[in-house]
Amino acid sequence: MDNTYAQKLAEFEARIARGEKIEPGDWMPEEYRRQLIRMISQHAHSEIVGMLPEGAWITSAPSLRRKLILIAKVQDEAGHGQYLYHAAETLGITREEMLEALLTGRAKYSSIFNYPTLTWADVGMIGWLVDGAAIKNQTMLAHCSYGPYSRAMVRICAEEAFHQKQGKEMIVKYASGTPAQRAMAQDALNRWWWPSLMMFGPHDADSPNSPQLIRWGIKTKTNDELRQEFVDEMVPEFHAIGLQIPDPDLKFDPATGHWRIGPIDWEHFWQVVKGNGPMNAERLAARRKAHEEGRWVREALAAYAARMA
Amino acid sequence: MTEIERALAEKLLALADDELILAHRNSEWTGHAPILEEDIALANIAQDELGHAMLYYELHCALAGGTPDRLAFFREAADFRNVQLVELPKGDWAFTMLRQYLFDAYELALLAQLTHSAHRPLAEVAAKVRNEELYHYKHTGAWVRRLGLGTEESHCRMQTALNELWPYTAQLFTPGADEEVLVKAGITPPPAEVREAWAAKVLPWLEAANLSIPLAPTVTLRRAEHTPHLTRLLAEMQSVARSDPAAEW
Amino acid sequence: MDTQWPRWEVFKQDDPQQPHRSIGTVHAPDAEMALLIARDVHVRRPDCASLWVARADCITALTAEEIAADPNWHIENIPPDAPMQLYLIFQKTSQRRAMTYVAHVGDVEARSPREALRLAMERFGTNKVFVWWAVPAGAITRSEAGVEASWFAPAREKKYKQQSEYGDVGGLRAKVRRNL
Repeated sequence: MDNTYAQKLAEFEARIARGEKIEPGDWMPEEYRRQLIRMISQHAHSEIVGMLPEGAWITSAPSLRRKLILIAKVQDEAGHGQYLYHAAETLGITREEMLEALLTGRAKYSSIFNYPTLTWADVGMIGWLVDGAAIKNQTMLAHCSYGPYSRAMVRICAEEAFHQKQGKEMIVKYASGTPAQRAMAQDALNRWWWPSLMMFGPHDADSPNSPQLIRWGIKTKTNDELRQEFVDEMVPEFHAIGLQIPDPDLKFDPATGHWRIGPIDWEHFWQVVKGNGPMNAERLAARRKAHEEGRWVREALAAYAARMA
Repeated sequence: MTEIERALAEKLLALADDELILAHRNSEWTGHAPILEEDIALANIAQDELGHAMLYYELHCALAGGTPDRLAFFREAADFRNVQLVELPKGDWAFTMLRQYLFDAYELALLAQLTHSAHRPLAEVAAKVRNEELYHYKHTGAWVRRLGLGTEESHCRMQTALNELWPYTAQLFTPGADEEVLVKAGITPPPAEVREAWAAKVLPWLEAANLSIPLAPTVTLRRAEHTPHLTRLLAEMQSVARSDPAAEW
Repeated sequence: MDTQWPRWEVFKQDDPQQPHRSIGTVHAPDAEMALLIARDVHVRRPDCASLWVARADCITALTAEEIAADPNWHIENIPPDAPMQLYLIFQKTSQRRAMTYVAHVGDVEARSPREALRLAMERFGTNKVFVWWAVPAGAITRSEAGVEASWFAPAREKKYKQQSEYGDVGGLRAKVRRNL
């Protein structure tokens, strides 16, 4: 590493320490660019794939208002994917490259979207739990040092608030609704609780990237810190509406004021991350099909534009 | 209800059912559109239409009782009053864009007059709906032109779609059993006038997109007649609501 | 060849008293579609008075850091017969608020984008400017005047997208904390 590089790196890290935003065109270490492209594109892919588990329920949403809200929510997810692909594009990767990586199974996306949505109550539980977990992560990322990513996150956070609230509104209602609704809500919690906790990533001890990401202002809290905050918020809320957390080891620790959870099944987590979750193949196949079937459309409009130019 | 109110309630139900079924068909594209931006755009159209359906249902219920949700989720296919055009499966992108375009053009032609309806609540709703429809029409008009003129494949798909859809457009302008009552009361415009305004828009636009208008027999069906597609659509749409009829969602 | 279409930068004016600001991009095949798509992607919630789009490859961007690193950035061979064009100048002037990127500050006439930026720096000053953009006026497609009711007002009607429609999420938490 020559002096010029060392100097540039020091200035870059000083800018971040001063709270300045790094913008497209500014000098950045290759590793910073690489990590951001990885994180942002994964985040974008998660939003896009994430449209499918809930989108499947639009056609059977049981009230006009719920149908309207769900269309808007899934539309938001597409919008968030759009903002994130844009942020990644400012770092030099193209959308064609990112889609190619996703559709060929090379790119990762949040494993939470490889679980099936089995009942209507899953829609509410995803809104309250999964989006709740996402919001915690996104709120932190809004302070990220890279301008386009930070701005995308601020916008996403503002729009995501309604996602969690409408989900909570549903579950609170069903928890005190008909017996079938109550059972549906409890069943949804039983299936989504642990996957939501796993959204915060491996335990800190097993997260090699974290220290550098923190030094470069890409992360400001650790996985375990965020996960504990989330648990402490959500447990009392579910208890308040009479739903049980599916964790026999769950215990409140009066000394610290924290809710202690039982052991996370990481074996299962890694299986799902590696692509063996129940819905991996199906969801990617759906995206591939949409992409393939859309080819003639994209080509037609490009041809029209070329002739009009 | 008076004779006029009965006729108006039936008309409002038809307007609402058209919007609901079309919104449902459009929402089937969510997550599957040809490009991300268009997924977002079509979801906007679907939301607008669902919103319109809810407005028309409210107007209907103010006259005839009931609630919008009970109408949407607990009627059988035979009791729906939408045109068959909107219940047809979504097809490919050309089919969806062209169907939407033909329907948007019909709505604009109708709404231009409905905003002057003698029934004040309907005139107000029509004004609101018309604003959103103006935007839909620009969007789908742009698509029809580009797909018609784009490539040989897109042109071919558009022509196939037009050949299939055109015969169904006649039903948009078929007078209902009590249409005369409403026309005489200045509540709705004469269907023939709406058709003329509609044709004045779509014929030149389709021609400019290099599409040939098929010579098709005009089958005039009453809105109470449906294809098997509606039964299948409702089976899915109503499944969760009907699984627990006492529940509030 | 199958592509995701070119990128267009989108500029949004929240209300007539505010400048147009860069808020992101859309992928679109042509200018008319870009404007329609920009409205659907970027105006899903209030407020918007006006929308502009410009193909991303028409825009010349420079950061303060790039300018400092290369003092000769503005030196170029401009052909003697190069016509004068109007360029719209955008600046990023704040590090603090995360939502701030470049906003429209004014216009200059110049024979090239770099000349436009150089003139802009003379006219508007470089103090506390972190990013500069020059966009040829001819490359911008604008939403028409008078389309407010159909283009932008509908976003305000969709209240179900606002978190305020759903009552107090925090309320339950606060109540629960008090009972602990």
